[in-house]
This record gives sequence, structure tokens and C-alpha cells, in this order.
Amino acid sequence: MNQTPTPQRRSQPYDVIVVGAGIAGSILARRLGELGRRVLVLEAGERAADPERAHREALERYLTAPVKMPDSPYRENPAAAWPGGTDVTGLPGGGYRSAGHLVQRGELPYSSGYLRVNGGTGNVWTGLTPRMLPEDFDTEAFGYGRRWPISYADLEPYYRAAEREIGVAADAGEQRERLGLPFPEGYVYPMRPIPPSRLDRAVAARLDGRRVGDPGSPDPVELRVTGTPQGRNSTPDPEYDGGRGYVPIGAHGRPDPASRCAGSATCVPHCPSYAKYTPLKTQARWAPSVTLTARAVVSRVLVDGTGRAVGVEYLSYEGGGGAYGGGSGGSYDGGSGATRQHTAHTTYTAYADVVVLAAHAIENARLLLLSDLAGRSDQVGRNLMDHPVLLTWGLLPEQAGPYRGPASTSGLEGFRAGPARRARAPFRIEIGNWGWAWAKGPVDGDVAELLGRGLLGTELRHALRDRVGRQFTLQFELEQGADPANRITLDPVLRDALGLPRPVATYGLDTHVRDGIAAAKTVSDQIFGLLGAEDRTAYEPAEAWAGRFEHRGRTYAFRGAGHAAGTHIMGDSAATSVVDSWQRCWDHPGLYAVGCGSMPSVATSNPTLTMAALALRSAERIEAELTERDRPLAVLNPGAHA
Amino acid sequence: MSTVRVRDERGAAERAFVAVSETLTGFDAETLYGTGLVGEYRALTAAEAGEDRYARFAGGDQGGPGHQGDPDGDPELTRAVVQLWYTGRWPGLAGGRGPYTVSVRAYAEGLVWRAVGVAAPGVSAPGFGSWTEPPAPLDGWSEPPAPADGAGR
Ligand SMILES: Cc1cc2nc3c(=O)[nH]c(=O)nc-3n(C[C@H](O)[C@H](O)[C@H](O)COP(=O)(O)OP(=O)(O)OC[C@H]3O[C@@H](n4cnc5c(N)ncnc54)[C@H](O)[C@@H]3O)c2cc1C
Ligand code: SF4
Repeated sequence: MNQTPTPQRRSQPYDVIVVGAGIAGSILARRLGELGRRVLVLEAGERAADPERAHREALERYLTAPVKMPDSPYRENPAAAWPGGTDVTGLPGGGYRSAGHLVQRGELPYSSGYLRVNGGTGNVWTGLTPRMLPEDFDTEAFGYGRRWPISYADLEPYYRAAEREIGVAADAGEQRERLGLPFPEGYVYPMRPIPPSRLDRAVAARLDGRRVGDPGSPDPVELRVTGTPQGRNSTPDPEYDGGRGYVPIGAHGRPDPASRCAGSATCVPHCPSYAKYTPLKTQARWAPSVTLTARAVVSRVLVDGTGRAVGVEYLSYEGGGGAYGGGSGGSYDGGSGATRQHTAHTTYTAYADVVVLAAHAIENARLLLLSDLAGRSDQVGRNLMDHPVLLTWGLLPEQAGPYRGPASTSGLEGFRAGPARRARAPFRIEIGNWGWAWAKGPVDGDVAELLGRGLLGTELRHALRDRVGRQFTLQFELEQGADPANRITLDPVLRDALGLPRPVATYGLDTHVRDGIAAAKTVSDQIFGLLGAEDRTAYEPAEAWAGRFEHRGRTYAFRGAGHAAGTHIMGDSAATSVVDSWQRCWDHPGLYAVGCGSMPSVATSNPTLTMAALALRSAERIEAELTERDRPLAVLNPGAHA
Repeated sequence: MSTVRVRDERGAAERAFVAVSETLTGFDAETLYGTGLVGEYRALTAAEAGEDRYARFAGGDQGGPGHQGDPDGDPELTRAVVQLWYTGRWPGLAGGRGPYTVSVRAYAEGLVWRAVGVAAPGVSAPGFGSWTEPPAPLDGWSEPPAPADGAGR
């Protein structure tokens, strides 16, 4: 354990240090700033000196990228590396090969990436924001996973707060009716639902009310195409907030009543029209008492002799050029100053009463391991989860008008709940609006294929219309239960450019998940039948499908949804979990680890809304702690050391 | 040489390139000129292929007055030019540069998006709810009638 003497409390310039300016860190900092707290946000990645220019350059880089991946808009940054989209490739004879930041040692690859720039993965996320179901908080009842120490009811007010902060467009009535989600009487979302795509409507026309067999369930499941809550701007609902309404947040976090999703269809990774929520919108509304320092890679959490967190050590490096250039990264932040000079970076320390790790599930675990903290339960880094995604794709009988609007506007929600969870992992089905992009890459591949068949001229033109115009994809997002064997560890030898040990993933899918994937494929086959669609699913070539496996005699392949979770799991006992229900590390007063890493289960909802709700709940607890701190000190002489 | 003459020669070379491109892409000259990329694509193709190979392919003045291009004689270059027009990406020729995306403009004007009847993702703002509408029609193409419920095609 790294011990540092407790500094004089009131002499500190900050009440709270937040490590990481992604969705969780930005939201938590905003809330504490609103309450007048002095917050230092340390962000490992680059921060744009000119946000408007950075926004345009990011789009340009993406549109002209050789391979279009979620991280394509951003320049590589060795000082704060991240796992890139092309790091994992399948091998023809089975198995996979990996390169890059995340070292892979598991049976199957952990192929979900994240991003280390200001705003984090929240820059490139899709923006789907469903709530979890009440039963998701206790899957032990279904014989797998881990129970939450809190319930849906405990989290419900924070869900509403998160929906306000992110700006969610959805239909509460439909969510209540179709998913059984309890909302307070009269609740409406900030904005009316995003209109369903033409594809959604075509699918609904053929599927709604039809039934399909589910291997996990004795009864067939009724299909109903249901709108997905979205963190992107739609028509504000005048009835929101007891009739006070809602004003959409547009470019640079400014209220913009006219901001709407304009259908540019590149939300992953970049929304040109600022309609999608990103943490930069939250940052723009930070109170002046919140300070962001970029190019500050936190390398260690500092604790005193009692185990209480007192601050962090961070490595500051010089940045590159472009819209991110200008200004030095090594600003002095009121810590104890430079302690060591290195060719590439300078080491600083900063102190505060509360330290909040919000660096993403994998980097949070890495930080706790680097600091050798919170290890009592032996659960740090363990229980690594994701939503393994089974993709199936094909051609609708009619034109679907793909590659328009948000990536997914509706889904099929009938396989998420109920006793079938016992037999197989549950799943949510997203209807994918962007052709075969996720499965097969950009349309360039279709052009090349038809050209390769010798088609030219009018024949080619018509063949492309017929081929690309009918494309659609079903995206089955499977729940993966907490399994201590799936974990993040550190490699003592392999280090990043700053000399910090790189994270290692050991990952696999258990039988429950594999049975879920098999069930999903059976459901997919029936859906394709009902749609009259041509199924073109084929997990080939091997290089493109690193996550390939055999199960009960059939071959499947999965992708990662980007939903890393579980690595600092929440529970009701210090012996079995890393954080308590407030995301406080059991062993270290003053230390919080926030983010999806705290989630005991990921269920079948895209996890970020739940994560944001948890962060807002933690902010409340932190504020209570700081209030508690201020009380006796106010009686003593508060100005003594200022 | 007068500027008018230079412009004429360039015009002739571009006309020859467009004539070949019309046949290969299935889009008419007006559409191709409308992309604003004819000059750039002609120059790029000539540079990547080399003047001689290009002249045999596209014809026009470089192949001698009145020379007709012979794209059929060069399937590799044919595919590259069509790929360029359809996606804005130069796929590369054996031993040459590439693949690379020419520019955002080139990506945006990719003919594949016209064929499908949608805007190139990321470069325009088709408007709130635009994704609920049918895709734009394509000249000379009509959708085969959708089969009855449940029947594949
Ligand atoms: C392609 C993609 C699509 C997604 N779509 C959805 C979706 O539709 N719905 C949904 O719910 N979820 C989605 N997700 C998941 C979502 O993006 C994450 O759940 C969310 O961004 C996590 O937020 P976070 O703040 O915990 O981490 P991040 O957003 O990753 O932010 C962490 C921040 O910490 C910084 N940091 C890291 N290490 C350090 C360090 N040592 N010192 C200082 N700073 C550090 C990083 O630079 C970063 O800024 C998607 C993910 C991906 C990859
Ligand atoms: S569809 Fe376009 S405008 Fe809408 S959120 Fe996505 S990128 Fe932004």
C-alpha cells in the first residue's frame, strides 16, 4: 500500500479529484460543481483547444479513414493508448491474434474497445439509453450472476436525473406497457421518441403479433417492434418536468431549442450535427469550480496510514498538434508539484478529500491494481463483462432505405425477461439501420463484390440498388453474468509508453451465454422466415471474426458491444465485492470507483444510462460526506490554513 | 499556348474520360459532371495508371485524335475507376499506390449512395425523421413487387 501522510485538509484547493472525463466523470463533476464543490478532473487523453475545429477534423478523419472504426476520428496517442477496433483478428485455423494496448490471454478475445481522449468512449457511443428491468437487479433468482445491493426502486429517481442530463427521447407509455417498467405517475421523457426507421416499420409490418419458439421457454414469444430510448435530440415534450418542458442541448453544450437528430447516420462514432449526447455537452455546463486538466494520466491512488484516499499521482505529457495542440499539458494543479522528470512526462501529485475513479471499467481496475488497493475481496479486475453480440444479416424482400438515421431506432424486447433466463442468457434484439456495416464493413465491399462478378454500367447500378438497398442486420445483445474467471490483470513486463504495466484480459463465454447465443440464432432463423428475408449470415472470412467458437456442433461468432463492466463489482459485503452500493471502495474511505465496473450484472440494457444514474447517486453521497467534513471544521478555524 | 486552347484540351480529355465512365458506371454525363470530380478523377486515374496505359483505356487526344478508349482491354483499371466513382476510394493497381480515400468530397459524391437513394452518411443533414421516408428513386429502376407475407424472393 502506498502511504502518504494526511495533508492539512483546508489548505487543499480541491474537495474532489475525478479521474477520467468520460460520461461518468463528467456527470459526477457537474453535479458536485453545481453544489459548489471544487473539483479537479484529471483526464488522460487530449483535450481540444478548439472544439469546433476538432469536431470538424474528427469527422473528416473518420470519413476518409482506410478502415472505419469507432476510434477512427482520433489520432493514436501512445501516452494514453486504448484498444483499437482492429487489434484482434481471427486465425484461419481457429483462435485469434491480438495486438495493441489490451493484452489478450483468454480463450476468446475481449474485442470491445474504448477511447482515451477528453470525453472518453462517450464521444463515440451510439447513444441508446434503455433502463434496466426491475428483475435485472437480482438474476441470482434465475440461477446465475450476482445480485445488486440496490433495487430498481432505489435507482428510479436517479434514472430520471440521468435522463435529464443525457437528454433522452423515448415513449414512457410504450416502455411501461411493453417492458413493464415502473415510472412515477405521469412521467414523460424529456423528448418525444425518435421516429422509427423505414426498416423498423417494414419489420413491424411483418412481425408484430407473430410468435416464435424460444429454446429457453415452453411458450412461444410474441414479437413486438418497440422504440429504443435514445440520447439524441428529438422534439421536446412540453409536458416534461410537470409542464416546464425541456430545451434540447446542442453544439458545445448550449441550449438549442431547434437541435434535432438530422439523420446524418454516423452517430458511431461522430454526430456532425451535435444531436447525440456526448460528455462534452456536460462539461460545457460545468460550474467554474470544476477544473479539467488533460494529458494527465493518473498512475496511482495515494492513501494515508489508515487506508483513506488522500490524492493521486499523475503523469503529465506534452501533446501533439492540430486542433488538440497549443498549451502545455503539464499545468500545475495545486498539488505538491513536480517530483520527477522523465523524457516523456512529468510526475505530479494532487490531493483532495475524495478521489473518484471514473476512467472506464478496464482502466479503473488497472488503476486499483497499479495502486495495490481495494484487494481484500480479491475481486478487483474480476467479473469482467460485456454484451457479446450475435449479428445476423440479410436482405429484406423490399427496399429498406438503410444507412439513414441513428444506428438503431427500435428493437425486439421479448427475450429479456422471465423464467427463460434460467435456461439461457437473455438478449435484446436491436434492429440495425446501417445495412451490413457492423458485420461486413462499409459498402465498398458490396461494390467490390459485384464488380468482381463482372457487373458494370446500368447492370451494376441496379444490382447495387437491389443489394445495398435491401440490407439490414439484427444485433442480439446477450447478457453475460459475472464470472470471476473473466478478468483484467496487469502484465509486469509489457508496459505502455509512460512505463505503466498494460492491462491483460482473460475472457471467455460460459455455457449459459453460449446457450443464449444458440437460442438467439434459432430466433433469428424464425424471424428471417417471417420477414421473407434472405439470410446472408456467414462468419467469414476467419480474420474478420476473432470471436468464433463451436457450441453443440455449430459454429458461431460474436462481436463486443463496448459495454465493459463488473471489474470493481458492487455488493453488500466487503468480503465479496469491491465497492458498496454508493460505489465507495469498502477498504478505503474517500475512494470511489464509478462506472459500469461497479455493475453486478449488465442484464440486457445498454449500460450507460444505468451507469449515469449510479454516478448521480454517488455524487449525492459524496456531497453528504463533504458536508459532514465541513461541519466540525467550521467550528474550528476554517480559514487557518487557506 | 492560349488559355482557351489549354481549356479545350482539358475539356476534350475530360469528355473522353466521362464517355468511358458513363458506360462503366451506368450514370450519365450530367450526373458525373455534377459531382464536380471529373477533372480530379481523370487526372488521378492518368497519374495512377501512367499516361500510356491511361490513353489506351480512355482514348481521347492522348491516344491520337479520334481514338476510342478500350476499357475492356484493361479490366483491372476498369474496376479501379468504377470503384473510384462509386465510393470515392482509389483501390490501387498492382504495384501502385493505394488504397486511399481521395477526399471527403469524393466520399460524399460516391455513386453508390445515389444508386441506393440515400445521402452519404456523415456529410449531409437530411433532416429530422428523414429516415422514415422511402429512399429516393433511381432513374430507370423500379422495385420488383414485394412477395406476400412470409415468402422469400
Ligand atoms: C462503439 C461503442 C458504442 C457504444 N454504444 C453505447 C450505447 O448505445 N448505449 C450505451 O449504454 N453504451 C454504449 N457504449 C458504452 C459506453 O460508451 C460506455 O458505457 C461509457 O462511455 C462508459 O463511460 P465511462 O465514463 O465509464 O468511461 P469512458 O467514457 O471510457 O471515459 C473514461 C475516461 O477516463 C479517461 N482515463 C482513462 N484512464 C485514465 C487515467 N489513468 N488517468 C486519467 N484519465 C483516464 C479516459 O481518457 C476517458 O476520457 C458504447 C461503447 C462503444 C465502444
Ligand atoms: S443520425 Fe446523425 S444527426 Fe442523428 S444522432 Fe446520428 S449522427 Fe447525429
